[in-house]
Amino acid sequence: MTSGALIFQSVILGLLLGGLYALLASGLTLYFGIMRVVMIAHSAFLILAAYLAWWSQTRLGVDPLLSLVVTVPLFFAAGVLLQRGLLARLRPATLTMMSVLLTFAIAVIIEGLLGYAFTGTQRRVQLGYGTANIELFGARIAVVKLIAFGLAVAALLTLYLLLKRTTFGWALRATIQHPDAARLVGIDTNRVAGYGFGLGLATAAVGGTALALDTTIYPSLHWHWIGPLMAIIVVGGLGSVPGAAAAAMVLGLTQSLLQIPLNTTWAQTIFYLALFATLAFRPQGFFGGRLAQRF
Amino acid sequence: MPSASEPVTTLAARRPAVMAGRAARGVLLLLLVVAVLSFPSLAPNPYILSAGILVLNYALLSTSWNFVGGFTGYISLGHGALAGLGAYGTALLVTKAGVPSFVALVVAALAVAALAVPIGYAALRVRGASFVIVSIALVLVLLLVFQSWASFTGGSRGLTVPRPFPDLLRPEHHRVFWFLFAGLLALALLVWWVIDRSRFGLGLKAIREDEDKAESLGIPTFAYKLVVFVVSAGFTGAAGGLYALWFGDLDPVFQFSILTGSYLVLMALLGGVRSLFGPLLGALVVGTALEYFKVEYGSTPLHLVATGLLLAVVVLFMPDGVLPAVSAAIDRFRPAQQSIREVTAAELREQREGAETELAGAGPAASSTKERA
Repeated sequence: MTSGALIFQSVILGLLLGGLYALLASGLTLYFGIMRVVMIAHSAFLILAAYLAWWSQTRLGVDPLLSLVVTVPLFFAAGVLLQRGLLARLRPATLTMMSVLLTFAIAVIIEGLLGYAFTGTQRRVQLGYGTANIELFGARIAVVKLIAFGLAVAALLTLYLLLKRTTFGWALRATIQHPDAARLVGIDTNRVAGYGFGLGLATAAVGGTALALDTTIYPSLHWHWIGPLMAIIVVGGLGSVPGAAAAAMVLGLTQSLLQIPLNTTWAQTIFYLALFATLAFRPQGFFGGRLAQRF
Repeated sequence: MPSASEPVTTLAARRPAVMAGRAARGVLLLLLVVAVLSFPSLAPNPYILSAGILVLNYALLSTSWNFVGGFTGYISLGHGALAGLGAYGTALLVTKAGVPSFVALVVAALAVAALAVPIGYAALRVRGASFVIVSIALVLVLLLVFQSWASFTGGSRGLTVPRPFPDLLRPEHHRVFWFLFAGLLALALLVWWVIDRSRFGLGLKAIREDEDKAESLGIPTFAYKLVVFVVSAGFTGAAGGLYALWFGDLDPVFQFSILTGSYLVLMALLGGVRSLFGPLLGALVVGTALEYFKVEYGSTPLHLVATGLLLAVVVLFMPDGVLPAVSAAIDRFRPAQQSIREVTAAELREQREGAETELAGAGPAASSTKERA
């Protein structure tokens, strides 16, 4: 039954899925690096972006990809506001715990508003190229999945270049590594942290659009995403972007391959198994930097 | 020595105030007990009584949550899942193994406590962030498992639990369970109170204030956190089991709901996590509101919005709870307390001068008194 072509197809699909996971996990990693915040609302913003893409396609007749022009700046601004207006106001001593509750509250509010505005009905973007496939060595890959992967890779690459090659990227990485020292050399860490949050939410905007292309969406879908994403950042070592990306690829691939012998639901448990195993045996994660030791 | 007698007189002057406070607290406690005992006879209809049981169940769960949240400051969003495990454990023991209802309840609670050991091991070895992640992951993975493993758990169709007292009418059934829930709540409150006053509790609170310092002072932080997490899980599991026996019908979507976990946090935070009755008070407010809105408006997505907004407001503006916030607001109108000392600086100076004049007369033999002063 499990022919070579099927396995090959699963590997391809796993890698494509892993790309999307990597993009979203990089956003979560950014928040954690900047403020030690576990941002529960990340995946809720992801679904919000997916809904905006769906809405622009059905109501305005615009291709979902074009909605990025609006959602990316919008989410960037929302991220800056979120960090400057809400998270920075919390007491530093209890920041980790209270920020979880605050972002949880935001996630629930977004879910409730989406349910109120668009009802709980499952929605799907209908595209002209939605059913097109590409044959590749006997594996059939949906074009929309390739587009989604392309988006994710492009966004990750942009993020990488931004972090490594620009002055802002230096400042952001300095803020993550050592906020006090960053302030001493004249970096306005508050502003940089705000922009960092904006970048993180911008990844959710891109990911949401990519998600809307080939997934049925509903308001409570974000709970299916936040679990795997949190598992990925823990396995990758909290705070390490390359670690998160590597863990995302490995876990996405494993999930996709496990779907052959098991069904979709059981294959998802691999994320939680990986999460528990990592914390029990190697709490600093498998690809982690020094940051992760104590969280 | 006149200087030594002075603090004693100030203490004696304070004693009536302390006694009055204690008496007021005793009266309040007595009122609470009377209210709890008389509620089943005062409830106008069985619906009100069943709604009261739901609130009591929330109070019990929230108090159980507060063992971890209140003492150590570690916030768990996954206690709903522990309650769900207790509920399903009890139900499965009764339906599949034919164990008597209340034996099943105790066994299930112990099993949840035992399961909390490996979970706590993974979650508590490092600091807060991992704990939160594990607690959320616990809810999500258990929901997946209990929905998918339909042959064993009944899946999304639910699981019916036979009633422990088949010959009781529904109102009588509610009445019995009201007292069972109240008894378990009293036990949980008692254990919380005992821990609060113990050396163990002091260690836990030290972890809450500053885990690094607590560790450097020789507190076995990991063991302390693990023990209190297991105690909390045991009570939560027992509450879930009791709910299963009372309600008689389990659905994974409601048992393993992250929303339940967040309600517990909201209740405890609202009432104040540092006080014994804080979660109870929070459950009274939030639980009643939840029931009221369910009756008035049905289940709409706006519930989520209201819950989220309330949680955000509490976290942003009164993270220590409403009770402490209110009492702080009241204190603002009282004459300001100058200092946390019981003796004022002026009194201390008088004392010191008195001691020094005495010292001058007494000679070198009294040098130890000088050090003490």
